[in-house]
Amino acid sequence: MAVHEAAAARIGEIVETNPWDQMRRFITLSDRGLRLSLIGALLFGAVCGLLGSFIVVRKMALFGDAISHAVLPGVALGFLWSMSKNPVAILIGATLAGLAGSLLVEAIKRTTRIKQDAALGIVLASFFAIGLCIIRIIQNNEGASKITGLKSYLFGDVAVLDRHDVITMGVVVISTIILFGLLYRPFLAISFDRQFAVSIGFPVRILEALFQMFLAFAIVISLQAVGVVLVSAMLVTPAATAYLLVDRMHRMLWIAMGVGMLSAITGVFFSFLGSNLPTGPFMVLSASSIFTMAYLFSPKYGRFTKWLRYRARVKKVREENALKSIYHVLESRGLEGSGNAILIKDLASHRKMSKAEIVKEIKRMKRSGLVKLEGGNVSLTTEGFNKARSVVRNHRLWELYLTNEADYASDHVHDDAEKVEHFLSEKDVAELESYLNYPQEDPHGKPIPGRASA
Amino acid sequence: MSFYQIFIEPWERHASAYWPILAMAFFVTAACGLVGNYLVLRRISLVGDAISHSVLPGIAIAFILTGSKSEAPMFVGALVAGVITTLIIEMLHSRTRIKQDAAIGITFSTMFAIGVILISLHGSHTDLDLDCVLFGKLDFLSSKEKIIMGLPGVALTMGMVVLIVGGLIVLFYKELLVSSFDPNLAATIGISPRLVHYLLMCMLSVVVVSAFTSVGAILVIAMLILPAATSYLLTDKLWVMMMFSLIHSLMSAVGGVHLAIAFKIPTAPSTVVCGMMLFVAAWLFSPTHGLIRFWIRSRSPIEKECIKI
Amino acid sequence: MSIEDVEVPALEIHDLTVSYQKKPVLYGVDMAVPAGSMVGIVGPNGAGKSTLIKSVMGLVQFSDGWVKVFGEDLKKNISRVGYVPQRESVDWDFPVSVIDVVLMGCYGRLGLIRRSGKEEKEKAYAALKKVGLEAYGKRQIANLSGGQQQRVFLARALAQESDLYLMDEPFAGVDAATESAIVELLREIRDQGKTLIVVHHDLASAREYFDMMLLLNMRVVAFGKTEEVFTGDLLQKTYGGRLTVLSEVAEKFAKDGN
Repeated sequence: MAVHEAAAARIGEIVETNPWDQMRRFITLSDRGLRLSLIGALLFGAVCGLLGSFIVVRKMALFGDAISHAVLPGVALGFLWSMSKNPVAILIGATLAGLAGSLLVEAIKRTTRIKQDAALGIVLASFFAIGLCIIRIIQNNEGASKITGLKSYLFGDVAVLDRHDVITMGVVVISTIILFGLLYRPFLAISFDRQFAVSIGFPVRILEALFQMFLAFAIVISLQAVGVVLVSAMLVTPAATAYLLVDRMHRMLWIAMGVGMLSAITGVFFSFLGSNLPTGPFMVLSASSIFTMAYLFSPKYGRFTKWLRYRARVKKVREENALKSIYHVLESRGLEGSGNAILIKDLASHRKMSKAEIVKEIKRMKRSGLVKLEGGNVSLTTEGFNKARSVVRNHRLWELYLTNEADYASDHVHDDAEKVEHFLSEKDVAELESYLNYPQEDPHGKPIPGRASA
Repeated sequence: MSFYQIFIEPWERHASAYWPILAMAFFVTAACGLVGNYLVLRRISLVGDAISHSVLPGIAIAFILTGSKSEAPMFVGALVAGVITTLIIEMLHSRTRIKQDAAIGITFSTMFAIGVILISLHGSHTDLDLDCVLFGKLDFLSSKEKIIMGLPGVALTMGMVVLIVGGLIVLFYKELLVSSFDPNLAATIGISPRLVHYLLMCMLSVVVVSAFTSVGAILVIAMLILPAATSYLLTDKLWVMMMFSLIHSLMSAVGGVHLAIAFKIPTAPSTVVCGMMLFVAAWLFSPTHGLIRFWIRSRSPIEKECIKI
Repeated sequence: MSIEDVEVPALEIHDLTVSYQKKPVLYGVDMAVPAGSMVGIVGPNGAGKSTLIKSVMGLVQFSDGWVKVFGEDLKKNISRVGYVPQRESVDWDFPVSVIDVVLMGCYGRLGLIRRSGKEEKEKAYAALKKVGLEAYGKRQIANLSGGQQQRVFLARALAQESDLYLMDEPFAGVDAATESAIVELLREIRDQGKTLIVVHHDLASAREYFDMMLLLNMRVVAFGKTEEVFTGDLLQKTYGGRLTVLSEVAEKFAKDGN
């Protein structure tokens, strides 16, 4: 009966359905096979996110990849032993193969001069090749029909999940969550500083072996959904997404689990729409898309957000430099305060810019409400004046600080102050002022404006 | 079963059919193995793995767009995919706190996923299908190709690739050697480590693409690493290591074809299995670095006394 | 006075020998450190200073000799020993905050399963205060300067409330102000009766900081009170010439394996 249900869920059999019907069927969860697929997806997505977090912070991504390839012969042998798709037999076989793989990697590293990367590659490829050979031998001897179950292990086919699979997955996921719930602190300590964990008496070797065992479990239960080749992506990508979003490990775990589940479900959705397409790639692409969005838009670390901050900085600096110029011109004429106007061409020559460029700048400042433009004259508004004053004050304070405290020569301080003046906070300024004892003049004899007044 | 029956007879019976496959298997393994020596020494073996997965979408797109089975569009597609991959990996791990291993993993699996989807969607139009991706086409060689010197065209191309790679290695031997062991020194004597790295990556891409169509995406890494790792256990001299890797390639090609005939399995994985067995043999029995030697040495009483001086 | 009246040394090492792939790194190291002293370990690069500390902590296997902490095996007294590793041993991008790291100092006493509670948090914050970082509790560790990172490690060690502290180059890459602050703190700890053994990289300051010194170059050149040990003669023996006859023989041996 399970076979029929699985067949019904494979839309490839039903030729004349349009995507909208499919979507409706998806959303209303009317298919039993679909419901099983979704539960399976949630389960393995969660556990991949959980273990994947540790893998990412411990820089074990390629190790995860090697182990996920190395389990293939175990899968084939488990299949051979039970002559069916018995999930428990396959789980045991695959876990043993996975553990054998990681032991072999360690052995190679310890007894030869071959390094981690090559050792992983050797185990990955050799085990995988053995697995392929065994599968082909099974195919030759038992006929291709028995192998359709096995094919799904290579690229993933979540539609073939049946009740037994899902129950096994459930058991694995629950025990993983219990393990990490109880032993979160030791695993955190070992991941962060292994030597320290040893030094406080934790049974580090045992815990690491446990971790590898549960990693093998997670890989194995995900195999049918994602396939051997792409499992490691489901371990790494959701966790990497979380890594870009938060700064604390326990939050990372939750987010990774969430993203894992979301990618898995999205993958099920897309392959449900398509016909006869393997599910693995869709899940991976969903995870990668979410990762890309985090990469670009993460509030703390996103490239796009960084770029926006950069643009804002550039704008601020440009603006403040322009304001400063106006202030300087006014100062040189002994004028002060808002309301006093200077000619645009005077400003242009002071800034050593062309008239056209100056006009653009002035128009920008006008939009920000910092200057007033009347005919050929530009004057500062109150806000503009206060801002200009602050920047000039910062500049001169910093010059004085460098000259007095850091013993800079007075002709060396200007360039540094040009940069720093934009980034002193009010707190910094207050500290500087009190430290320098409320000075009146900068190293060049120019007056230091007091704090901005109303 | 007598020695004759196990080892000689299958060859007698199938020689003409399997000779081109053997030649191809040897050429592929040899070319990969030569480049692989540098991957192992420079500890970037898994970059080879990443590239071999990442070229899949490039190849798939090339096939789909041109609809032709010729090599040229494939190479172009693969190279473009390879370049894109390298750039993305760089972008991920140099600008964020994502480390290199995760960057590699994310990139190549995404590229590979794209490739698999493209192939699944358009598989019927092209020669490429998922089986091919996994197992390669080694066993379908003799069918439609034109034969020159008893070898099909693709095998000759591969043979030329081996010669070119070998030639480049001989030509740039000094540069590759120095920059692999001490990039800083290399820079000071006028060898740019960056250029050497790009040269190596180009050779790697070419070799990966050629190997890919023969042995499939996953097993290329074996061809790259196994000969090199095995040779690494047998000698301390680089050029000897290269020779040994060629011998390893030959032996695993022969053994692989043999296993393939005997067990009716595809040639590609069986070549890998053979290569692996050679590795294990070297691991155990290497006169200089083998396990047996290792155990004998660590039990030596002389050793303990000397340390106490 | 009988044997029992003699105080048990905080750390006793006898004939310790460590080799890495047939090349000896440490041999025949003998040392007995009395409780309540502050010992500096100095020696040239590759002398095995870090390896010595790691061997005591059980992180590196030794082929000969034994180590006793307060008279017992390390495993029995592991809660009495605090280890401060080198800063490079850790990935500072790890998603933990300062207080998370310091709390780890309490993990040894909590064991594997018990959760950390208010008491542990208070201890952790007290340790942070001691190193002057109490305002930095919630900060992610990547946003700290080198000196601050070192102080976090120190706070973690303080949270362990150990009797013997083993520190591996705690002053490496640390600014002068932080260094003085740390030395002050270490002296305070010593005055409370604890024992400190510190691998130090700078000869000049070592003389100032430590009561006792171990001059190490694969084997013990000298060990004792600073004023007795810090002589030109002994220092020359420690630092002079990278390849002593012994090391040369050892290298040859490693190559031939005969």
